[in-house]
Amino acid sequence: MSLSKSASADGTTLTIQIKGKFDFNLVQSFRQAYAGINDTTVRVVVDLRETDYMDSSALGMLLNMKKTLGTSVNAIHISNCQPQLKKILQISRFDKKFDID
Amino acid sequence: MMRVLVVDDQPINCTLLKVMLEQQGYNILLAGNGVEALALLEKEAIDIVLLDVLMPIMDGYETAARIKKLSSDVYLPIIFITALEEKGSFERCLAVGGDDFINKPFDKAILSAKIKAHSRTRQLSLKAHEQNKLLEYHYNQTEREHEIVEHIFNNALENQYAFTENIDFHLSPASMFNGDMCLVAQSPIGSLYCMLGDFTGHGLAAAVGALPASRVFYTMVGKGMAVSDIANEVNTVLAKLLPGHMFCAANIIELSSSGKSISAWLGGLPDAYLINQQGDVLKTLESQHMALGILETDEFERELIHFEVDPSMRLVLSTDGIIETTNEYDDYFGEQRFIEVLASKAQISSNEVIKHVTNFAHGTKQQDDLSLVLFNCLAVPAPKKEIESYSPLPFNFSLSLNSTQIKQTDPVLEIVDVITRVGGLKAHRSNIFLLLSEAYNNALDHGVLGLDSDIKNQEDGFMEYYQQREVALEKLTGAMIIVDMRYCPETLCVYFTICDSGNGFSADNNNGHSLTREHGRGLSLLEEIAEQVSYNASGNQIEMCYRLTSLQA
Repeated sequence: MSLSKSASADGTTLTIQIKGKFDFNLVQSFRQAYAGINDTTVRVVVDLRETDYMDSSALGMLLNMKKTLGTSVNAIHISNCQPQLKKILQISRFDKKFDID
Repeated sequence: MMRVLVVDDQPINCTLLKVMLEQQGYNILLAGNGVEALALLEKEAIDIVLLDVLMPIMDGYETAARIKKLSSDVYLPIIFITALEEKGSFERCLAVGGDDFINKPFDKAILSAKIKAHSRTRQLSLKAHEQNKLLEYHYNQTEREHEIVEHIFNNALENQYAFTENIDFHLSPASMFNGDMCLVAQSPIGSLYCMLGDFTGHGLAAAVGALPASRVFYTMVGKGMAVSDIANEVNTVLAKLLPGHMFCAANIIELSSSGKSISAWLGGLPDAYLINQQGDVLKTLESQHMALGILETDEFERELIHFEVDPSMRLVLSTDGIIETTNEYDDYFGEQRFIEVLASKAQISSNEVIKHVTNFAHGTKQQDDLSLVLFNCLAVPAPKKEIESYSPLPFNFSLSLNSTQIKQTDPVLEIVDVITRVGGLKAHRSNIFLLLSEAYNNALDHGVLGLDSDIKNQEDGFMEYYQQREVALEKLTGAMIIVDMRYCPETLCVYFTICDSGNGFSADNNNGHSLTREHGRGLSLLEEIAEQVSYNASGNQIEMCYRLTSLQA
């Protein structure tokens, strides 16, 4: 379980990548990952390509991020979800608030 | 020592020539007619033949023709012995393969000069023949080695030709081996990766780097790694393996399986273009980084660019061979022409673009490998997964955790790891994790620790909630959580029972469990993922049934 973040070359996209398990253990580091977001950032990507597990606490963390960032970014993408995680996001109607890819 | 064969039916001529030539240090063999001469040539090494024209049994003309046929590889000079009155036959002597004439009566100086001249040519020819043989040997050896290497390359660059819907590419190497490479692969979650690389130079030396680079690429795509991680790893491997002056300019891109977004690492190749179906450039993507194999791992730049795409868009990747192609006036093909060609026809193919480039070169020798990738931004069908068969054995797992164990561990993932060892359950690990995590954390947070989920709804409540949780967990004593799982091969279901030592809830005591409230996202998730969820009367036990066949739905 780990979290890493990176900015795109042009500084407009912040990518937060989560490996392994996305649950309440990440509550601190996930919040820190987007806390100091730049003015130039217009897009946040939560990349779940290496995320095998998530539960409702992860959903809460994502909603919290959405609330905190508000309109300061144009979009929050949740990308590269494995099928079962995608289904969890769909069941929770996250596709209404996030761009799920 | 040069060996001269004298062929004459007149013993007097034979003797004369033998004496004269032996004085000059030549080794002499004698034959009385063509048949004898040919027999000698079969078994003796001869350097020069002196041949009389008129002889019994086989005359000089026929003999000369046969000798030339025998010694086709190396020059074997034939000097005809002629009388002046035979001048008319000179032409015929040359036609059958004669190289020179010596007139009777013999002039010692002329004879000596002619033999010397022809033996020099003979020696040169022998030497050339030796070298040819050596060359042929090396050539064959190289050919064989190339064949082996080519075989390895073909196998290494395995599925270049899959995904033809998405990828239309053209590679034309300047020599047998391509210093450019185009790698294509799909990750387990369905996103499509393409790497176009151009190693320094061309030919075999340039191509060798393709082997380690492709291994890294395929392995990492197989694990669904991010483009930045792949670029970083290929860089590390190439920096370690390649000599200092060699590197690999490359673009690595990933199209999400929905076909909606692209991530790209661009290092050292010419501009990439995002074009529409008509070929108009929508976006120019400049190289962001140094080529792969130059920087040390700790100074490597991983930054990607991201952009949204739709099915009408195509991404154009190329190596510098295209824009640097020159024509007979030494003009470059250049970016402007390249952009014009892309827009010269709707949905232009890679072969059509390359045709424009080679027409422009107009027969000028190809200097570098020409490579072009046209990447259609279409959704990619996910790869078919092999389905592991379900175990026929009825496994049963159970564990009860005391306060110390509850405090010190976060047991859910470990339990999931154990239960998914049962054949067929691995494919369900995310769902099983979710069910266990929700049920366990509910039992712990609300059953055992007595936390109130409402905190989460307050301003900054999320963090507050987990801080309270930590404090409560610290103080925990005398608690217990029991987790029980049963896999049933007949019904293909997994049954979970999680019960805790907490107070549970009742209709009039509503401040414990969140399960009864409308709050829980967790609860609605459980009910969607599990086939059935139920609670006992005292509210401290949850039972769930998860149907394994639900995944196909």
